[in-house]
Amino acid sequence: MSEPKRMHPIAAVVNTARQIKEMIVPFVAFFVFGSKGTDWDLYYWFGSIGILILFLLSGIVSWYRFNYRIQENELRIEYGLFVKRKRYIPFERIQSIDYSEGILQRLFGLVKVKVETAGSAGTGDSEAVLTAISKEEAANIQNMLLAAKKGGEKDGQEKRECDEKDIFYKMSGAELVLLASTSGGPGVIISGVLAFVFQFEEFIPYERVFKGFSDFAENGIVFIATAIFAVFVLAWAAAVAGTFLKYAGFTVRKEGKDLVITRGMLEKRQFTIPLHRIQAVRISENLIRQPFGLASAYVESAGGSVRNEGSSKVLILPVVKKHRIPDLLTPYLEGYEFDPAITGVPKRAFARFILKGWMFIAPLAVLAIVFFMPWGFLSILLFPVSAFWSWLVYRDTGWSLDGGVLTLRYRGISRNTVFMDKRKVQSLNRKESPFQKKRRLSTIGAIVKSGEAGSGGKVTNLEKTDADKIYSWFSREALEQQGAGNTEA
Amino acid sequence: MIFEPQTRISRRALTVWKISGTINSFIFLLIGAGAVVALIMIYHWPVWIIPAFLALCLAYGYFFIFLFPELRWKRWRYEVREQEVELQHGVFIVKRTLVPMIRVQHVDTRQGPLLRKYRLATVAVSTAATVHEIPALDMAEAEQLRVFISRLARVAEEDV
Repeated sequence: MSEPKRMHPIAAVVNTARQIKEMIVPFVAFFVFGSKGTDWDLYYWFGSIGILILFLLSGIVSWYRFNYRIQENELRIEYGLFVKRKRYIPFERIQSIDYSEGILQRLFGLVKVKVETAGSAGTGDSEAVLTAISKEEAANIQNMLLAAKKGGEKDGQEKRECDEKDIFYKMSGAELVLLASTSGGPGVIISGVLAFVFQFEEFIPYERVFKGFSDFAENGIVFIATAIFAVFVLAWAAAVAGTFLKYAGFTVRKEGKDLVITRGMLEKRQFTIPLHRIQAVRISENLIRQPFGLASAYVESAGGSVRNEGSSKVLILPVVKKHRIPDLLTPYLEGYEFDPAITGVPKRAFARFILKGWMFIAPLAVLAIVFFMPWGFLSILLFPVSAFWSWLVYRDTGWSLDGGVLTLRYRGISRNTVFMDKRKVQSLNRKESPFQKKRRLSTIGAIVKSGEAGSGGKVTNLEKTDADKIYSWFSREALEQQGAGNTEA
Repeated sequence: MIFEPQTRISRRALTVWKISGTINSFIFLLIGAGAVVALIMIYHWPVWIIPAFLALCLAYGYFFIFLFPELRWKRWRYEVREQEVELQHGVFIVKRTLVPMIRVQHVDTRQGPLLRKYRLATVAVSTAATVHEIPALDMAEAEQLRVFISRLARVAEEDV
């Protein structure tokens, strides 16, 4: 496959559609607010049609100028209208591969392939996208990739067979519903609905409507309550439906040395990440899920950019009972200890967590008391609430060292447990403020590459000797004097 | 107890920081003076805010020209070992960072006009996800360090 190839012509249509989607807001604004029922309307019509044709032309031209080939173990693409660009991606530098089939692609039996590399920060794109190629082509590329990885072995064909036995997680229908109902989705949709309703404030005189209603509603509070409840139920149903379409058939399996994730109903996606490219594993328990013992797991990949976070933080277990995670992941992600013995922070650190919370609350409370005289005093209630939150944060902060893996647990809003392989950690830091120093406490932070920037974990107010332990564990050269003895070469 | 890194940055860094602190304070003075004049002329604030403001300026100047640069210089330490770079810095909060050589992607040196005048340069060590700076090293030393680090980083060739 060394001769340059074009993509399927549908790519031109997809490109055009994407451009229109990106420009839809200014375009509609131009068209709708531009026309005022005068003679100028005609020009606006022509202008709009002209712009559409331009989009289509540029879509076609960019398809025409785009070609790709596979040569010397590199994926080589060439594109560009005026400035000819070439991008050569060596196979061994590929961080992840993302196959997706949108509706347009499915109609024609095509597939979109996105290849991610660990691009340096700032350049913005670290990927090669083949918008629409035939499935045989895609399979071809994948086989060549596999063959190259196996070091010249030709038989990439058999790999498609070994599917079933390597599936290590398949989401059940119950879990799908659970996922939809406990994600942030419903909240987002409700606020969306509210925002939408209040958009029409200018046109619908709510006040008058409500006044008319009020007589009716006097004995009809139930009616309003029901209406509100109905809106919530609708929003929830919409969220469930959305999640259902997105995550239906969610499967994770191991193919050779790759992790392959498949999901989606209307738009099918398949995401491939080589196991040795995984930078860190993150288990996240949000506020709704944690009380039910539910959690989700992500792997962090060096591929992906700011624009699509989806390919740098890859969901591998959308929602499962937490105690199942070690069984599910340990056989596939080697070296990680998913049931670590977490060491917490010392009791004397608790005061620092509380103070940190109160430092945020205090100015708010003062302002509230000054400006809203009698009721402002209610803000004092914030202090115990904040203290309770601090207690949660305090209780959930901890660390563990298991061989080559550092585990940090901390709470932002959700509780996160991050597992980081020493070899993947980009840098490790230790912080001490004078107050911490007095109480012999330290903060430890570790950064792994995730997408364009870093990600990782930070735990505050660890026992100082514990921080020393982690610090010297990470150091390649024995810098501790009292010989903690767990520094590896 | 873990030993802290030993190498200090150039003493001339202190001079540079004091100069930039002076410029900084001067700008603060100008903007603040403008605001004070406006408050008194337009909003008829009491005149005693002038001495209050001057006191504030003095404190600001003291902190940014004398105290902070001194503390900062005293704290700044680094060490470049065969397999890692270690940094320590911070005025109040002391931060220590370990960067393994195998994670170093590239090393830059940089200097602005002020640093150039004092024959200083900043060395920036980049990993795939982070950038770590050692500010205000002697130019020759910075150049040496850059070559040294990039040579060590090259030996430890390993992918992300």
